Amino acid sequence: MATRSRLRSTRLLVVALVSVSLAIITVDYRQGQGGPLEGLGRAAQTAMTPLQRAADTVTRPVGDFLSGLAHLPTLQSQNQSLRQQLIEAQTQLIHNAELQGRVSELEDLLALKQTLDPEGVAAVVIGNGVSNFDWTVTIDKGSSDGVKVGQPVIAGSPSSPRLVGLVVSVTPVSSDVQLLIDQHFAVAGRLSGSGETGLVQGQGEQDPRMDLISPDAKVDLSGDQPVEVFTVSYEINGQHGRYPPDILIGQVASVVQNSNTLETSVTVRPAVDFSALQYVLVLRTDGSTGGTG
Amino acid sequence: MVRRVLSIAAIVVTALLLQSTVFSQLRLLGVRPELLYLVTIVIALLEGPNEGAAVGFAGGLTQDFLMNQPKGITALTLTLLGYAVGMLRQFITSPSPLLPTVVVAVGTAAGIIFYEVVSLLLGNLDMSITYGLKVALLTALYNAVLTPILYPLLRRITEGSRPRRVVRF
Repeated sequence: MATRSRLRSTRLLVVALVSVSLAIITVDYRQGQGGPLEGLGRAAQTAMTPLQRAADTVTRPVGDFLSGLAHLPTLQSQNQSLRQQLIEAQTQLIHNAELQGRVSELEDLLALKQTLDPEGVAAVVIGNGVSNFDWTVTIDKGSSDGVKVGQPVIAGSPSSPRLVGLVVSVTPVSSDVQLLIDQHFAVAGRLSGSGETGLVQGQGEQDPRMDLISPDAKVDLSGDQPVEVFTVSYEINGQHGRYPPDILIGQVASVVQNSNTLETSVTVRPAVDFSALQYVLVLRTDGSTGGTG
Repeated sequence: MVRRVLSIAAIVVTALLLQSTVFSQLRLLGVRPELLYLVTIVIALLEGPNEGAAVGFAGGLTQDFLMNQPKGITALTLTLLGYAVGMLRQFITSPSPLLPTVVVAVGTAAGIIFYEVVSLLLGNLDMSITYGLKVALLTALYNAVLTPILYPLLRRITEGSRPRRVVRF
């Protein structure tokens, strides 16, 4: 008798919990952004931030050590090739300095100026998304530091920026950044060399894909110089795109063979190593600018 | 009772913290473990369907609110998973020490596939079937590897906080 009533109460509990879950799914699905559940989520993230920061400080050395151990065999060859690249880069640098002088002279002549020259907020990555279907990182700067939803996030130096992603939610003390490999991420890209443009979209763990490139574009991967992909600036009805121009997105890794003759597609290897991301820069572009990037 | 709820809440928060920090760096072929699936299954195995469903719901909801994904799906998945494993417990008589590992592996794979199917039906997941299966199987494997380490720990915590009952025949 006792077991039967216990069984019934268990069943009741499960039915109640499942109903609540279904109700939450429905409410969240219908309200989209900015409903009461969204606020609850932000509160939970705010509460987790200090804990995450502490846990990250403690566990990062352990994680670094273990992942370093796993990568040990590749480190040596990487070191070799990096040395080689350094020599090449130094040669290139001398050449570039010469070109730079000419460029600045010409720029002055044309009275060119950067359409967007925002100042950045430096931030530390304190956590990653918790699921396998969510490619985000949490950073330690939030709305009280001027971070707003929709601002682009970069890594590297301001003179050679590399794209990380986009701020998708903010709390007063932290923000979530959607990485460019996230499946819901898209940004307009321009190929170095040919200057062809297309749409770069995240594919999760696989390399992002760049679609909608003109079929006439010849993407030649056999040359010495890798084909790189940069952000582009554009202006539609007086509204600027979200991203300042010339942020490096990545290098073209392969050309996708497909029967579709209306467009060319390539895969893009991101310029940022997301597994080792620690410092980023949030660009405080004017939050009011529109466009999906 | 209060102590019990607190210790389980501590387990859930610790699992989420570990998952978003150290395990996001220690990936197995690009996949991280799903510690809350592991915790739900182990607690359901140790304590039964009531506790399994309740912990699954609370943990799943917490994870949902920390993710930029539609909310409620993890809560639904883990409630059902905790209940199912708790109900299955009475049919399992094997005393093998490997049992928790096997149950965690099978349960994780089933739970993640369920999660993927629900997200797919809600139109929020665009991935190939092979990638979905790969994530499910690799996560199950990763969770199974972690079980021998975490199972004794979880058992000690839950048993330590269990109210002492006097059983009379």
